Amino acid sequence: MNVLELKDVTKKYGGFTAVENVSLELEPGKVLSLLGPSGCGKTTTLRIIAGFAAPDGGTVQIAGEDVGQLKPYERNVGLLFQDYALFPHMTVAQNVAYGMRYRGTPAAAIPSRVKQMLSLVQLAGMEARYPSQLSGGQQQRVALARALATDPKIVLLDEPLSALDAKLRLELRIELKEILRSVGATTIVVTHDQEEALSLGDEVVIMHAGKIVQRGAPTQIYQSPASKLVAEFVGRSNWFQATRGSSSIAGFTSYVTSDGVEIRAKSPPSDRDGRVNLCVRPEHIELMDSAVTEAPRDADHNSIAGVVLDVASLGPDVHVVVELPGKARFLAIRKNVRKIPGLAPGQCVRVLFSASDVLVF
Amino acid sequence: MTAARSKLMLLLPAVAVFVLFLVFPILMVLNESFHTFEPGRIGSVEGGPLTLANYEELFQPVYAQYFAQTYVLAICSSAISIIFAFPIAYCIARTEFAWIQKASISAIVGLMFLSSLVRVYALELTFGSVGVLAPLMSIMDINTNSRLYINFVILAGLLQYSIPMSILILIGAIKNLNPRLTEAALSLGASALAAHITVTIPLSIRGIVSAFLVSMTLGVSAFVIPLILGRGRILFISNLIYSRFSEIANYPSGAAISIVMMVLALLLILVMSRLATSLERA
Amino acid sequence: MLSTKERLNADVTVRTKALVGAKPILSKRRVDILLAIAVTAIIAVTALFLLFPVVVTVLMAFDARDYIGPFPPTELSTRWFGKLLEDAYIWAGFRTSLLLAIATTAAAAAMGALAALAISWMSPRWRDFVTTMFLSPLVLPGVIIGFGLLMFFAAFNQVPVFLKLFAGHLIITLPFTIRMTLVGLAGISQTLREAALSLGANERQVFFTVTLPLAKNGIAAGAIFAFAASMDDLTISLFMSDFQTYTLPLALTTLIKSSFDLTIAAAAVALMGLTIVLLIVLDSVLGLERAMGHGTNRIR
Repeated sequence: MNVLELKDVTKKYGGFTAVENVSLELEPGKVLSLLGPSGCGKTTTLRIIAGFAAPDGGTVQIAGEDVGQLKPYERNVGLLFQDYALFPHMTVAQNVAYGMRYRGTPAAAIPSRVKQMLSLVQLAGMEARYPSQLSGGQQQRVALARALATDPKIVLLDEPLSALDAKLRLELRIELKEILRSVGATTIVVTHDQEEALSLGDEVVIMHAGKIVQRGAPTQIYQSPASKLVAEFVGRSNWFQATRGSSSIAGFTSYVTSDGVEIRAKSPPSDRDGRVNLCVRPEHIELMDSAVTEAPRDADHNSIAGVVLDVASLGPDVHVVVELPGKARFLAIRKNVRKIPGLAPGQCVRVLFSASDVLVF
Repeated sequence: MTAARSKLMLLLPAVAVFVLFLVFPILMVLNESFHTFEPGRIGSVEGGPLTLANYEELFQPVYAQYFAQTYVLAICSSAISIIFAFPIAYCIARTEFAWIQKASISAIVGLMFLSSLVRVYALELTFGSVGVLAPLMSIMDINTNSRLYINFVILAGLLQYSIPMSILILIGAIKNLNPRLTEAALSLGASALAAHITVTIPLSIRGIVSAFLVSMTLGVSAFVIPLILGRGRILFISNLIYSRFSEIANYPSGAAISIVMMVLALLLILVMSRLATSLERA
Repeated sequence: MLSTKERLNADVTVRTKALVGAKPILSKRRVDILLAIAVTAIIAVTALFLLFPVVVTVLMAFDARDYIGPFPPTELSTRWFGKLLEDAYIWAGFRTSLLLAIATTAAAAAMGALAALAISWMSPRWRDFVTTMFLSPLVLPGVIIGFGLLMFFAAFNQVPVFLKLFAGHLIITLPFTIRMTLVGLAGISQTLREAALSLGANERQVFFTVTLPLAKNGIAAGAIFAFAASMDDLTISLFMSDFQTYTLPLALTTLIKSSFDLTIAAAAVALMGLTIVLLIVLDSVLGLERAMGHGTNRIR
């Protein structure tokens, strides 16, 4: 049985439709990421599930029970707020115990459960501290312990890591994933951060303008985005506006960009003959010194001549900006495993990428 | 350091006004309070012996009664206005409709800006002995000339000030409060009432104390309200001081009452702000 | 890992079962419904309590009868406003009050703005101390200020009444202008001033091109508060006035205590109109919410 089931949920604020016909279902123990830009309706969806907003249409079921008319305190939903919303006037232990007090845990059982929860989030011994005495990461873990303490049917995480700095974020992301898995919590993570969404979620749902635009496993979302919108939102990409070309080789479609560059794609030709958008991920690009090698020109490879504009080393990656014919800028990301010989601004290069790595929208 | 000095020069006009028209006069009141009163004379005898008699006099039950009268009503009005203002302030601060917020704040500010005499007169017209509610009172067998009723009307007068004031102060306090905290409490299973008792109210305690303090200050120094609504039968400390001056010209006694009243007012502020700090820490 | 989960779940399940079977969920909702009813009642009672007297006054001012009869008036007329226009006693008070308020407002706004500017340049410690001192007239009972001023002026011979009134009103309005100017100045970030300085303006130019234009709304709001406070004051004016020179609140007080004439109601309605005008001006110069956040919260 699904822990959560949303059917055609719609929410309007005045004339603005925040959520439109959203349907979701979630199996026990799974983690679902709700990804989208701000204002896409993901937070409203979360608030509807938690009971802070009443849907104008559709049904919400938690564990088979229609909760549409239930108040937040009548649903056993654990909520981790973006800013944690720890009660500043209560100690860590009082914060964690708060939910149990109101969900009817016998008073005698609370202290041991608090202890148990705090050791789960590795904060044993911090019971008497106040939230203001904790670091951001510790506060986040207290908030998680508080949300999990009542053993909620479903756990909702609202931008769980966005308040933390970049380095801590990675550490806590791994820890968060472990904790959620260890208690087997059925979870929805709402985030605008694709890395967070892809790494935490067993599945990812992309929302835009109140609607679900794609749902799938993280790899699927990245490798075969359903639309230009998804491709733009997840990962970096180089975009070309192109029209269908004349030359045709079996199994490939040929396109000509507005700057007259021919690009072949392996995907089947789209129905329309008009303009298409081609997308190439920077990671899928090889750069070669055009003076050293003449490009291999197999049917499934694209090769475009260009000039290096900028080389930026960002730790593990090297970002190379190449100018293509017609002043189009092109970004290539290379792993910084070894020094790339002779790659400097002004250098003439060939940009190589496989036809199967070209996404057509 | 001429620049620094010229900057301080800007303070000079205001400081001069304060020293001349506030500090000096209050020192004169203090001085006067230690002098003897001679009936028939305006003001004390210059260069006469200093005395504490004016203060000793205040321990008589007659005087204590004025203080009690003032403080009891001020405390009642402050407490009632907090009880009424808090839920209203919460609704205004948290409403999702911007126009409701704007309209209610405008109405409340309007009431606060309204001339105090207009408000007192409006109350007199409504609750007074010949006011529009008088027929209703007589049906309900309420004697509009009883002391209790006059006390009630004065209380209503104080509330006309302190409720709008408290609402505005509390709106500020509640707006400073993260609304997610109340939501967190609800999502953890607390009913709305429990969430307010355990989270919203403790975290707005500073605003609550502040609103109480402002109401108290307004209440204890009230002058116009008891002057008109008290019908001469109920006097506050302020009215007592005025009558010392206007009716019997006993300046030294008026001065002594003034000093006591001022010390009490400052003491109140001190105690309440201490209380706010300690409550917040707990 | 699984063992943790099972352990956690085992004791929770027991609890949850006990919980769902019992009634608390229903009663929580009932408590909330009661709370909602109570809050609605409080709002209704308070609105009625605060607004009913105002409505009564407005309706009575238009009462056609020449005595205070049962409410509401059976017939409406503007006769009391006609009487108000002819009432020399009220008009003399109004003239004094208006002149006094204008003079006080101008002086208090200028002094307050200068003082606030000096205060804003002080170190935080001094700033708090000096501000508290200047705001003290707001917490001191008005009678004491009036009584003190009376004795102060008694030391001099024959001070004109208007001057005495002016001094008293200055003391009670200065806190407003200082405070509101400080609010206006607080909105000006240090970086703005530094940006202007780095662009080549000198301190004086920065003051006239950046600080003053940005602070003027705060000064204006302070002036409105000062005007309202001066028009409203009774306590201090009572000690300063004589039979020839008296303020409008004084005139009204005398009338309220001596007659049941509805001319006062008409005057009250006229003052309500003045209040609304002040509010509209205040809203446009500073915004009501911002002004009230600092203007009314007298002690803090």
